[in-house]
Amino acid sequence: MPILPRLRDPADRIYYTLVVAIGGALMIYFALVPVLGLNVAFHFYLMLWITMASAFNVSSGFSGYLPFGYVAFYGVGAFTTAILVKKAAFPVFLALPFSGVAGLVLALLFAPTLRLSGIYFGIVSLALAGICRLVITNMPEEITGGSFGLQLGSRAHPVQAFYVMMAVMVAALAVILWLSRSRLGKALRATRDDAEAAEMMGINVPRVRLYGWLVAAFFPALCGGVEAWYTNVVDTETAFNTLTTAKTVIYAVAGGLGTITGPIIGSVVMVWLDELIWRQFPLLNLLILGLATIALVLFLPRGIVGTILRRKPQWRRYVP
Amino acid sequence: MDQLILNGIVNGLIVGGVYALIGVSLTLLYGVLRVVNFAHGEFVIAGSFLAYVLFSHLGLPPLLALPIAAIAFFAAGWGLYYVLIPRLSRSDDPELMSFLMFYGVSIAAAAGMLLVFEADSRSIDYTFTPISVPIGPIYVSTARLVALAIAVAISGALAMFLFLTLPGKALRAAIMNPEAIQIMGVDIVRLSAFAFALASALAGVTGVLVALVFPAFNAFSGPDYTIIAFIVVVLGGLGNPVGALLAGVIFGLAEQLATVFLPQSLAQIVGFAILVATIFLRPTGILGSSARK
Repeated sequence: MPILPRLRDPADRIYYTLVVAIGGALMIYFALVPVLGLNVAFHFYLMLWITMASAFNVSSGFSGYLPFGYVAFYGVGAFTTAILVKKAAFPVFLALPFSGVAGLVLALLFAPTLRLSGIYFGIVSLALAGICRLVITNMPEEITGGSFGLQLGSRAHPVQAFYVMMAVMVAALAVILWLSRSRLGKALRATRDDAEAAEMMGINVPRVRLYGWLVAAFFPALCGGVEAWYTNVVDTETAFNTLTTAKTVIYAVAGGLGTITGPIIGSVVMVWLDELIWRQFPLLNLLILGLATIALVLFLPRGIVGTILRRKPQWRRYVP
Repeated sequence: MDQLILNGIVNGLIVGGVYALIGVSLTLLYGVLRVVNFAHGEFVIAGSFLAYVLFSHLGLPPLLALPIAAIAFFAAGWGLYYVLIPRLSRSDDPELMSFLMFYGVSIAAAAGMLLVFEADSRSIDYTFTPISVPIGPIYVSTARLVALAIAVAISGALAMFLFLTLPGKALRAAIMNPEAIQIMGVDIVRLSAFAFALASALAGVTGVLVALVFPAFNAFSGPDYTIIAFIVVVLGGLGNPVGALLAGVIFGLAEQLATVFLPQSLAQIVGFAILVATIFLRPTGILGSSARK
């Protein structure tokens, strides 16, 4: 494998040992979920959120953008798969890659927003997600199914969808691992910290930002497609629900932006908590999610992994 | 057609008055505190619910709800400031983290209102006599005209406060240069708490007007008003109160006239398009860089 360099540096050796250990544990655990008869739905969404939060991390943790309309990619991906399967009679496996492509196309359309920064970027992203939702809502009913949405009918196959979701998650994590060790990842971080200095060092700032943005857009679009297949129904209300953005952001921030493990740990902890709260107090679920977000920003703004690394900066070289 | 356009203009002015108030309170908050209140729409809707409760349980008309909302929201805003903001400044990027934190406030507030008032849309059955007033060839509901008059009065009072009184001047100074004003001996924490309280009070009062102007509201109406607030604030220039007042009216007119010419659901896109276009073409807002970049 080209990503495994000569591991002379002991820090790298620990780093990759951790990568293999964490990655292996995740893969074996998830692969066994349907076999052992564990809760498939819960773990499907856990993988979905890990993927979403990790991809979001590329945009915000590596590149420094906070897209508050992140759900746009997810929603467009969901509708792409649904329309292709339902209206163009594509097999699901052929339709899913088009969801990813739709995410990339959307990202290219939104690329001009990358020259904005801070809250301007966040607000514009939010508005663009709103436009996406309205455009799809206003498309003819024969294509998008209007307010009833699209039902995929008899194509449901939860276990297949589960393993496809797992493949998407593994692919996302592998790409992000490669990105974080690659020249591109270093260029992204340099650009995030100081765009002018990065430019002076010969980094093509707009191109680096665009590549990061494309990675961040591709995976949520795939997630949307797989989820549409899994639940068998797509409508604009759920596909473009702002809560999807909210959860993605919260889970990623809870774990800590900028590291690979951060969004994974954040998603595992928060999805598990969410499930627990949901079971105990179904009515209070949203309220607690909101309060947890506030508490997170106030008391743990760097997330779980970020806080640990701040206490122990010498671990920074070992933790993926 | 002329009648439709006249209707659009009158409704645009009325709705614009409400939008102006929503925008001016958000812009004050951003200008002084550098926080982005994503929950602003929920603050407004909470004001609508307060008016609803006062009317349906105590029989108080909406006009009496105005001062009560102002006082209650002022106090709540003052308290909320000390809970939320001082800790926020410890994070690496307070401005962006504020966006996320108020995201949480927005979710929690909407969920809270949902628990108390359930998901049904509410409206206040209060009617003025006469119910409507003729303006040329069209009839306009009295409640909406009253709301417009109140919005104009509050805007005027706010402008006088900001430009003629010492605390108002301090607020504008804090927007222009938060460092310099501290050198002049102003307690920036107290001033910020005051700004938060004032913005909350304005949001609460606006909520009462929303209940008068719009047919119904529910626990999940908040984000719609937050988006409107963002559009108005960006159009008027971030942190520019006069710009926000003007932008509110312009946006109200644009939106209402758009509903005349476009189908209802498509007309919503106009607002988003204005927002995106402003940020790209004129990021300092319609009045330019008079307040601050």
